Amino acid sequence: MEITKFQRFLMMNPIIQFFRFIFLSLKIMIVVAGGHGGTRK
Amino acid sequence: MAKVVVLGAGIAGHTAAAHLRRKLSKDHEVVVVSPNSNYQWVPSNIWVGIGKMTSKQIIFPLEPLYKRKGIKFKQAKVVDFFPEGSSDLDKAHVSVEYVAGEKKGTKELVDYDYLINATGPKLAFDLTPGLNPGKNNTYSVCTYGHATEAWEGLEKLIQKAKTSNEKQKILIGTGHPKATCQGAAFEYILNVEKLLSDLKVRDKFDVKWISNEYELGDFGMDGLLLKYGSKNIPSSEMVEMLFRDRNIDWITEAGVTEVEDGKVHYETLDGQKHTEEFDFAMLIPAFSGHGFKAYDKANNDITDKLFKGFMIVDADYTPKPHEEWTVQDWPETYQNPSFSNIFAPGIAFAPPHSISKPRKSESGLEIFPSPPRTGMPSGITAKLVADNIIDIINKGTHELHHKGSLGNMGAACIASAGYGAFTGSGVSITTYPIVPDFKKYPDSHGRKLGKTFGEVGLAGHWLKLFLHYAFLYKAKMKPFWWIIPE
Repeated sequence: MEITKFQRFLMMNPIIQFFRFIFLSLKIMIVVAGGHGGTRK
Repeated sequence: MAKVVVLGAGIAGHTAAAHLRRKLSKDHEVVVVSPNSNYQWVPSNIWVGIGKMTSKQIIFPLEPLYKRKGIKFKQAKVVDFFPEGSSDLDKAHVSVEYVAGEKKGTKELVDYDYLINATGPKLAFDLTPGLNPGKNNTYSVCTYGHATEAWEGLEKLIQKAKTSNEKQKILIGTGHPKATCQGAAFEYILNVEKLLSDLKVRDKFDVKWISNEYELGDFGMDGLLLKYGSKNIPSSEMVEMLFRDRNIDWITEAGVTEVEDGKVHYETLDGQKHTEEFDFAMLIPAFSGHGFKAYDKANNDITDKLFKGFMIVDADYTPKPHEEWTVQDWPETYQNPSFSNIFAPGIAFAPPHSISKPRKSESGLEIFPSPPRTGMPSGITAKLVADNIIDIINKGTHELHHKGSLGNMGAACIASAGYGAFTGSGVSITTYPIVPDFKKYPDSHGRKLGKTFGEVGLAGHWLKLFLHYAFLYKAKMKPFWWIIPE
């Protein structure tokens, strides 16, 4: 795998990344604040 | 009235103390014992190590905050544990020694009803001969002091490179065959590389990664199969993609055994011994327990009831082969089985085993990462321990309702890949669960795809910066701090 020019543009474009920032913040909240618990009954 | 003593004021200790104070009435006492006068937001150390932040930006003094909030603070180190009391004091207690101020050197017995051991790891530089931050051109970013020193060393080397025709060698990674915290080294190498590019001196440096991981992207978590865009890829591929893109070379399966001035000696899994030269190295040391001792009322040594290197908790420590490991081996409540009023969240608890597959070199040297338990899991486990103690005190319950096994907990790792408001980037990775559950998720390397994903980009840098300010706000216990999750 390598980072193509187009992928680099997507990774570093501030407007696109602003929306990714919101998306990532929400997604991380869902994963992390989504709860935790035991594994034994 | 109950007295809760918290040992340590890092992410776990401070989180536990803050929640205890908020939820317990003032009739109950919360005491923090820590040799450090400051709280430090450890994840930002890497930015201190490249001169983009000063240590003052990532720390604040604990005593004034604790005074305002009604938490007693003793700047002292714990020496011995007396969970049954001793001939000097009937009640369970720890002996501590003050490390600063008028009482420096004075010993004191601190009694408790509940004890939270959040002393974290000892940075065991001594386990690798020659590895000593600031010596032999080797540095660390494990504390803000070390990171400041690393930046001084790196800055000098950059100045030297500007006037030299010789290529300078930078080596970053792990400094012990069983070191953990590869994530911090991963962040640091990407930040150093970006800094050199920004300063237009990248061509004057060889930047190399050295690690005890079997393959790139293991991170002490046995690697991850993660969702990356529309594909599912192993974390090794993602890290390899980044290293190739940045022209960073790598050495894996390497157990660093000794450091000399500008040289690192290491052994690889095939039993071969090698030497790598460097002008600047940042190597993460092994983490170990603090070597605490515990005694019963008759002064007999009962250390093995409390410690197994780190503190013994409700994990299954039965030795078993890697193939038989399960998530059920991992603790849920972080309570010591011999003394129900002692808990050890964060890095202070003894893990049942590693997460990465254990491997030995042909000469018998164990070369694999120890399990990482830093950051987010430290905060989560500390909060659940505090909540259980609060329930016991307020409701008189004996059953612990708050549970959080690393086998049933998600975590996010926002790894900085370079600093800059519009030129920076970050690698955002989440994983669920932290410890792979191969029975539940047999087809995706023990983890739930979708909840285990990776992304690279500028948003990751903003996110890491946002978390820096948000978590310092939370740690300073400013209005509504508790709304911010661990």
